[in-house]
Amino acid sequence: MTDSDMVFVIDDDESVRDAVTNLLEAVNLRAQAFASTEEFFRRGRPETSCCLVLDLQLPGTTGLQFQQSLRRAQIEVPIVFITAYGDIPTAMRAVKAGAIEFLTKPFQKEDLLSAVYRGLEKDRAYLQNCAENATMQSRFADLTNREIEVMNLVTEGLSNKEIAWKLDLSEPTVKIHRSRVMQKMQAGSLPELVRMADRLRQTSRQ
Amino acid sequence: MPNSTSAMPRRSLWLRLRPLLALYGAALLFVGVSFLLTFLLQRFFPYPFLFFFFGAVMASAWFGGTGPGLLSVVLSTVLVDYFFVPPFNSFSVSPSAEAYFGAFVACAVVASWVSSSKKQTEQALVQARNDLELRVSERTAALMQTQGELAHLSRMLSMAELTASVVHEIGQPLTGVVTNAQACLEWLSSGAPNVEKARRSADGIVRDSTRAVMVLERIRSLFRKSPPEKEWLNINDIIAEMMVLVRDEARRRNVQIHILLEQSLPPVRVDRVQIQQVILNLVVNAMDAVNESVAEDKRIFLMSRKNRHDELVIRVEDCGVGLPAELREKMFEPFFTTKPHGIGVGLSITRSIVEAHKGQITAGPRPQGGTIVEFTLPFHAEDTDD
Repeated sequence: MTDSDMVFVIDDDESVRDAVTNLLEAVNLRAQAFASTEEFFRRGRPETSCCLVLDLQLPGTTGLQFQQSLRRAQIEVPIVFITAYGDIPTAMRAVKAGAIEFLTKPFQKEDLLSAVYRGLEKDRAYLQNCAENATMQSRFADLTNREIEVMNLVTEGLSNKEIAWKLDLSEPTVKIHRSRVMQKMQAGSLPELVRMADRLRQTSRQ
Repeated sequence: MPNSTSAMPRRSLWLRLRPLLALYGAALLFVGVSFLLTFLLQRFFPYPFLFFFFGAVMASAWFGGTGPGLLSVVLSTVLVDYFFVPPFNSFSVSPSAEAYFGAFVACAVVASWVSSSKKQTEQALVQARNDLELRVSERTAALMQTQGELAHLSRMLSMAELTASVVHEIGQPLTGVVTNAQACLEWLSSGAPNVEKARRSADGIVRDSTRAVMVLERIRSLFRKSPPEKEWLNINDIIAEMMVLVRDEARRRNVQIHILLEQSLPPVRVDRVQIQQVILNLVVNAMDAVNESVAEDKRIFLMSRKNRHDELVIRVEDCGVGLPAELREKMFEPFFTTKPHGIGVGLSITRSIVEAHKGQITAGPRPQGGTIVEFTLPFHAEDTDD
């Protein structure tokens, strides 16, 4: 656990909200409670790793609807659902939409905490991934147009000769561009560069 | 023991004979009195004045029936013949008085017969009326019991619809209890126990378990089969207690219940469980109505106020599709239902409860669409006797 971990508890029921926050604090997690999703929305997710403990039945928007609207707003945050009456279809939908866990009240401490830890773990991985993507993108932004063309063709598996022919360049020029690409992207090998290209394509598609 | 058994028949024979003898005695008395009166009055009349004997015959037959009636006819005939029909003081009858005497005897017999049969009819009527009253009161008692059971059943059915809601209402505080208890243990078991935090967790446990118990208490009172018990209560409190049980159901169905209560309403003398049942029925019906409705408007209004006739008015409005007028007229009748699985007792019981509280229940269309159901409860003590 790092100090930056934060757990948000959203439940309109005061008993549950207070108790869950209390339990999380008792195991040295930072926790903050909200009575409604709107309150959480206004606060927004922090830069540091966090996890959401969300009541499924909230007045106004339900937990599932809130999960959808977070996705639409491109706010990625792990959700642990808690509900007073869990039915399997709803649980399936929640988990398919990316929920960490679906707990029926009253739940056991171990179940809640393991779900919260998994959520935080997932969020840390997500944040790290985001950071890596950001570095990669800033490196990619340094490439010239010609270098981008070369990188695309290299990662598609074309040889220097084929690239030279396709771009109407001499083979030594292609080699220079290629080494500049490897250098700027800080790729140690061709497979690494291919993985980077894949990731860049994925993030640009999102 | 042997002594008492041998004494019993004699005693009961005497007991049986005594009223009979009294009736015959009364017949003798009537005839005696009329003889005396006739004897005294005879000197003022030129003809035998025998009307008192008819009176004695009728009275004997009326009180004693056929036997004493005939006895008084015979006695009267003998006395009249001897004392008042010429020749006087003799049992012989002069030819001129034969017709008169014959008419007297015939009239006396007829009077006795008419009187005793009239009496019999009267007695039969009284008997029939008593039997009828007894049967009516037995039926009423049976009906009231059936009604009580139906009301109980209908409460259970209404509650069955709210099962999920009830599970939620108990599940929430229980979650609080369990989670706070675990937090409390955590606070105490770490290297440096945090007693203050542990104490606050325990406070939470007490608060949440009290809440769960209150929900259970409320449900149990709805399930209890107890005779109606009226007490002075605030209608807004009753509504608030009921809302605890339905608000989650409303949330689950995505129905918004808007509660508009007039403050400082006078208390009413009502049976808490029954009035809660009425409100429960009306609110569940309203939720069904907006549920079926295709419109987006899924609102229900629950209002309390006071009217000018010293009555409280509790009104439930829904924004559903509404009911056609002909169905609205029938909706409080037994076995009327629009629900596929309904048995149609809810609203008829609702009406009988309201009427038992001297109130009235009516239904009408909501101008913007939907239905308005409202009932009144008079808040004067003398209007709500038990």
